[in-house]
Amino acid sequence: MNILIVEDEKSLAREISSFLEKENFLCELAFTGREASEKIAVNLYDFILLDLGLPDYDGLELIKEARKINSEASFIIITARGAVEDKVKGLNLGADDYLAKPFALVELLSRINAVARRKFNIKTEDIQLGDFLIQIQSRKLFCKGNEVELTKKEFDLLQYLILNRNKVLTRQQLYEHIWGNILDDQYDSNFIDVHIKNLRKKLNAHAPTPWLETVRGVGYRVTIED
Amino acid sequence: MLRLKVKLALFNLFSKLAVTAIFIILLPYIIERINLRQIDNTLIQKREKVISLIAEYGIEPFISADSTDGFGSYNILKEEFISIEKVDLEEEVNNIEVAKRLIDNEIIEYRVHNYSIQIDGKIYLIEVGKSLASISQTSENTRRVILIFLVFIILITFLTDFQYTQRLLRPLDSIIDKLKGISSPSTFDKKEVPTTTEDFVSLDRALIELMERIDLLFSKEKEITVNISHELMTPISVLRSKLENLLLRENLQPEIEEKIEESLKTLQRLQSLVNSLLLIARIESRQYLKNENFPLRGVLLEIIDELKPIAVDAGIKIEHKLPEPLEISNANRTLIFSMFYNVVNNAVKNTGNGGLITIESFKDKNRFQVIISDTGRGMTPDQLKNIFSRFRSRNEKSGDGTGIGLAIAKTIADFHNIEINVNSEPGKGTKFLFIFPEIS
Repeated sequence: MNILIVEDEKSLAREISSFLEKENFLCELAFTGREASEKIAVNLYDFILLDLGLPDYDGLELIKEARKINSEASFIIITARGAVEDKVKGLNLGADDYLAKPFALVELLSRINAVARRKFNIKTEDIQLGDFLIQIQSRKLFCKGNEVELTKKEFDLLQYLILNRNKVLTRQQLYEHIWGNILDDQYDSNFIDVHIKNLRKKLNAHAPTPWLETVRGVGYRVTIED
Repeated sequence: MLRLKVKLALFNLFSKLAVTAIFIILLPYIIERINLRQIDNTLIQKREKVISLIAEYGIEPFISADSTDGFGSYNILKEEFISIEKVDLEEEVNNIEVAKRLIDNEIIEYRVHNYSIQIDGKIYLIEVGKSLASISQTSENTRRVILIFLVFIILITFLTDFQYTQRLLRPLDSIIDKLKGISSPSTFDKKEVPTTTEDFVSLDRALIELMERIDLLFSKEKEITVNISHELMTPISVLRSKLENLLLRENLQPEIEEKIEESLKTLQRLQSLVNSLLLIARIESRQYLKNENFPLRGVLLEIIDELKPIAVDAGIKIEHKLPEPLEISNANRTLIFSMFYNVVNNAVKNTGNGGLITIESFKDKNRFQVIISDTGRGMTPDQLKNIFSRFRSRNEKSGDGTGIGLAIAKTIADFHNIEINVNSEPGKGTKFLFIFPEIS
């Protein structure tokens, strides 16, 4: 899939692109609105990551433009303006998702994947983890045929770790993904630790979970050998 | 504290009473003067009548030329008398005085008019008198009538004055109502209050102008807020992406991994701090809408659900008594959630193993109230004073927060006109009481 990253902060654009390229996306960069407008007119993109705060262009105008020429493209808006009205305006214009700066790169990836799954109607496959089988679609977890009851938070945590398998996720990244709707300053690394502890307790009652690792000093990781 | 119209009415009443009091004190004297003048005139008229009688009939019918006796006449009740007697006088007499007379062995005070007249070379003294007792009787009556009249007048004028000032001050009431009814300068009613009083017109205009200016300042602040957020968030975002990309490198040495994570944590604190300050600035510049209706119970249950695993892990029990849904209107659910969340979260952090947090809600006299109490460490009066200030010193148990959670709660409460009362005792616990505005 090819992605156009429209971001006036060059080093941020490069970091995003280097991250996404490792995830096998094709990335192009546009540092100004004009540049973006030209690229949109010439090329077709699957995704356009758009910073609304461009110095030379009203980002919302760019969405309107692209809707005409590049109607297949999905938009994810990136902005430092966390104001609700911007979010509503962007989503009304047909943006598919919205991320406020600063965001975690894994979060961006999971948003892109979510939009792609919706767009191409991809069904997430069931994933086997040791003795456990996780059904992402129906939000169910089984162990040797028995359903394991998890709370919503616990399932969200497990799902996010699995979708970002083989990557260490920091507590902040996990927290932001799950509690992102709560207003700021309530971040507490302890929250993640407690929920992981409870999750482990529930899982270990059924079978051992060597695939769920604590990476000392950093965070957590689910390892799956493909 | 008294209303202006009441003060004006009272002042009015007092000044009227004062003037009346002075009048009443002076009244006897005035009445006496008026009466005396009246009587004196009557006496002079009577004397003139006597003289005209003498002129018509001569002095003989009253006094014979040789007799030494005078003529005297008085009515049965001795209220009046007339006497004529022959006297030897060198000067003419024409005066009015108060004199005592013995009539039928009774001493009576009279107002007496003395007048000398010369007839046929002889001098006669005419005296016309009226008793003072009869005068004071009249004075008394007059005074009574005047007093009744005064009371009546005061009552009537007081009532009309009161009515009039009330009418006159009505525009002021409307202006006050206008001011009371607004939640922010932008909602101030810019329509002028109809009045013919110049002072109110200028007051109203000055207020409208002031509100417009404040409104402008607010929107400028909003702009600055957005700019600051952009300026600060972008560099944080750059750093964060760089560090996260570094962390994804394979075969990193554990101590480097740890250092990157520490840097990310520090960056997270900065991000959280900027976000909190922005949140407060946004609430204070009223960038949040208050247009949602929702039950408080739902919010509180959601928070309990959210924090229960953390509390249980720390050995803290959370109990709740939420008998009614308590539907609130015109509020921002996200903010109200954040307000209670911050306080409950604070309670969890400050309550140790075996502690208890109780969340209660009820309706008292048309006002919703929520109590969040814990059996935690509590606070000294000194700590309590600074509980809502933005950068109160953090203690080691406060976790990763920036110590600004309660300041946010307070800002949200102010935004919704919610009163917060805090009681705390070191070692015993803390109790937060939230009183919602009256339901209209």
